[in-house]
Amino acid sequence: MKNNSFKLILIAVVALVSVWSIWPTYRDYAFTKKLGSFRSGEDSLKYALEHRTEIEHAKDKSLKLGLDLKGGMHLVMEVDLFDLIEQKAWNKDANFYRIMAKLRSASGNSSDNVVDLLAAEFKKENIRLSRYFYDIRNTDQEIVGKLNKESQDALVRAKEIIRNRIDQYGVAEPVIQTQGSRRIIIELSGVTDEARVRRLLKGTAKLEFRLVKEPELLLRTIERLNSAQIQASSPQAPADSAMAAAKPSEAPAASAATVADNAAPSAAPKAPRKLSDVIGVMQNGLVFTPDYARDYVASTLNREDIRALLPQDTELLLSAKPLQTEKGEKYYPIYLVQKTPELTGGVITEAKATFGAQNSQPEVLMSMNEEGTSKWARITGANIGKQIAIVLDGTVYSAPVVQSRIPSGNSVINGISGLDEAKDLEIILKAGALPAPVRILEERTVGPSLGSDYIRSGLLSLIWGFTAVAVFMIVYYHKAGIAADIALVLNILIVISVLAGFSAALSLPGIAGIVLTMGMAVDANVLIYERIREELDEGKSLRLAVDAGYNRAFSSILDSHVTTLSAAFLLYVYGIGPIQGFAVTLMIGTGASLFTAVVVTRVIFDLLLGGKFMTEKSFG
Amino acid sequence: MRVFKKTNFNFIKHRKVAYIISCVLLVSGLVSLFTRGLNYGIDFKGGSEVVIGFNKPVDVGAVRAILTSAGVNGSVKQYGKDSAVLLRTDFHGETTNLKALITNALASRLQGNPAQILSIQAVGPSIASDMKFSAIKALVAAMIGILLYVSIRFEFKFAAAGVVAIFHDVLTVLGLFSLLGGIFDFMPLEVDQSIIAAFLTIAGYSITDTVVVYDRIRERVRGQKPADYERIFNESMNQTLSRTIITSGTVMISVLVLFFFAGPAIRGFAFAMFAGILIGTYSSIFVAAPLVFDMHKRANSAIKLRGA
Repeated sequence: MKNNSFKLILIAVVALVSVWSIWPTYRDYAFTKKLGSFRSGEDSLKYALEHRTEIEHAKDKSLKLGLDLKGGMHLVMEVDLFDLIEQKAWNKDANFYRIMAKLRSASGNSSDNVVDLLAAEFKKENIRLSRYFYDIRNTDQEIVGKLNKESQDALVRAKEIIRNRIDQYGVAEPVIQTQGSRRIIIELSGVTDEARVRRLLKGTAKLEFRLVKEPELLLRTIERLNSAQIQASSPQAPADSAMAAAKPSEAPAASAATVADNAAPSAAPKAPRKLSDVIGVMQNGLVFTPDYARDYVASTLNREDIRALLPQDTELLLSAKPLQTEKGEKYYPIYLVQKTPELTGGVITEAKATFGAQNSQPEVLMSMNEEGTSKWARITGANIGKQIAIVLDGTVYSAPVVQSRIPSGNSVINGISGLDEAKDLEIILKAGALPAPVRILEERTVGPSLGSDYIRSGLLSLIWGFTAVAVFMIVYYHKAGIAADIALVLNILIVISVLAGFSAALSLPGIAGIVLTMGMAVDANVLIYERIREELDEGKSLRLAVDAGYNRAFSSILDSHVTTLSAAFLLYVYGIGPIQGFAVTLMIGTGASLFTAVVVTRVIFDLLLGGKFMTEKSFG
Repeated sequence: MRVFKKTNFNFIKHRKVAYIISCVLLVSGLVSLFTRGLNYGIDFKGGSEVVIGFNKPVDVGAVRAILTSAGVNGSVKQYGKDSAVLLRTDFHGETTNLKALITNALASRLQGNPAQILSIQAVGPSIASDMKFSAIKALVAAMIGILLYVSIRFEFKFAAAGVVAIFHDVLTVLGLFSLLGGIFDFMPLEVDQSIIAAFLTIAGYSITDTVVVYDRIRERVRGQKPADYERIFNESMNQTLSRTIITSGTVMISVLVLFFFAGPAIRGFAFAMFAGILIGTYSSIFVAAPLVFDMHKRANSAIKLRGA
């Protein structure tokens, strides 16, 4: 009895801290209910304004729900560090591109450090890195160090830029983290327009101003491609083929050119055999591809063997927005542009989405810094009467003819399909360009309705789990079972309060972890009670039996808790996302049960024994 | 209330029968693993999963036909209740197109029953292989950790037998997943991340029951001659039988609640846990302790135990 007062105080403190930590969650729930109960919006607004600080405080400190329960997006994106390395290299020759292509395909299925892979491959091929990177006097080690630094910077910069974009778009409490050497994890709750978010995140926002080559050169190039009988490559993404297959009706039956003969609607769903089948030339010299073949053409034009056929320092690029014929057929113009940009997006200081003055189409106005302004004035001055293409992430938004020298440093992007897109462009231009392209590796989106389904089934399992375990303990161990159930309640309180206190989100696997913990937490009591029964059977007095039960069962309890805890810890370290939620609640619950099942029940028994409330029959 | 009040089973004498049962379980599981293989979920295979909800109950066949004719290739299955289906297809980095395709096709062909996309999960192949790798790392680390911990708390032979029992449990459940995978519509038994979570939890929990038996053996074996080991092992196992079964029973209650109430996303996990605990309880009585006995009998050595 001597140290029972200390134990009692400890239990009271733990219980109070738990309740204090859960209190805001209850307040938040109560406020939400109260606000919903007002009949008119005005009353509800008035109440909300009056209690603003309390409501915000409650919301801030309440238990957070995971993306699966609340609805939201979980994305894993990869920064293309190979692209970054290619940007850093100079003297690039065929051999370099061959090695890079090999590395790209080799690393597709791993998350190893790209720079290490690169160094290993060059070593194997017996080429010094300094042949392509930095200074010829550098050793391989120095270059690996520098490249590693560049890649780390690029990852951090990409994260910051993505955060900027999301902040400007406006999502509450986004979670953006880097993982490993080239991945970024993004968690956004309550996102309604996923397609827009995805577009916002993916765009590299690499803006370039490039000279458009003369139409004659474009025609000659296309003729050369056609005569080379290029086989179109299959599209990169399966989705694209599905899209093409779904819209055979849109295949242009009677567009002005060669397309009509070869690509009859019936043949359209299949992959076109030749590039020449899907590239047409109009009377006025405009080169185009029909809507259904855009993705094939885009991926084919990117191929190395095609690039080799083009005139020096040029590139074929597709337009971002289709033109439409009177019949509603869509086709995308193709431009032959200079590969080296005249000016890049780095000079842009301000961007603003508006509607154009003449045709009230959405457009984005941009202004440049001093250096950009003077360059832009020189470029426009030297190319009056020629076309300059405004290229964003490899597609041509517009290619206006330069009318006069522009001294003000202003430029405009048009060819945008809607105001939303214009606003997104404004956001990504302001946030700056990503250091390298990014792509989506993993996406998990849960809509709010499925989320509320999950909450319902989660609550149901919590209630049933607790009831079943609690009833079993009372049936099997009588009064001692009640003590175990009280400990169990405290255990669940502790789990929830720790989650709320550390702002960890509760997910459906997390709830599963709590339900499982309930079954495991009473195990300690089972071990103790069975031991007490055994001691009683040997004829010990109740008090001695209880003492012996707690002392002798402790070593098994400790062992079983340590093993379960370490398994849960490993799960937390190696698991991701949803599984970590499970591991966390399992860890907290198992850890807490060491306290609740052993200390709390012991104090209860000591008190009851002192008051003669227990007999040998109390252990069932 | 008490079950197994005073039992007197001769576990050690009949251990060979248990060994044979375990071998049959393991071999049939392994055969199935090599012939039928495992049904991997998208976490480990890569791909996209779309849950589509409808206002009213819907015929899965009709949905499948509509989606196929729209050019979405993949499998369509019932998801939980009548009014939701699960579409499984290749990985799409760009789910916008897929989503548009599905909603358009269903909206035009199933006009009386509006459909809504409830959730999309897309996992790329590189992530999938990463997850596989870290799952294996986690399991191996758990085994090594338990081996070390039990060696410190008891002795190496006890630890080795315990880890063999865990291996036995996990392999049997894996075999079960391979044998029954894809047979039941309400639980596809796919191996995904949640199943790995189940395996690790089973590994951590399987040793719990084993440790209870070990603990009793350690308590009783002190100062006894190796000739008495058979009797002591048997008595220890009989004395702890009741608590071994009740502790597993309470966890079993939780797992069954999860199976029935927590929805289709948790069902595979709950099934794995159920099977794992059942087999874990069996193995701590019939595999772990008898193995320790055999190892000591073969080595003809006395048990020198650490700890209390």
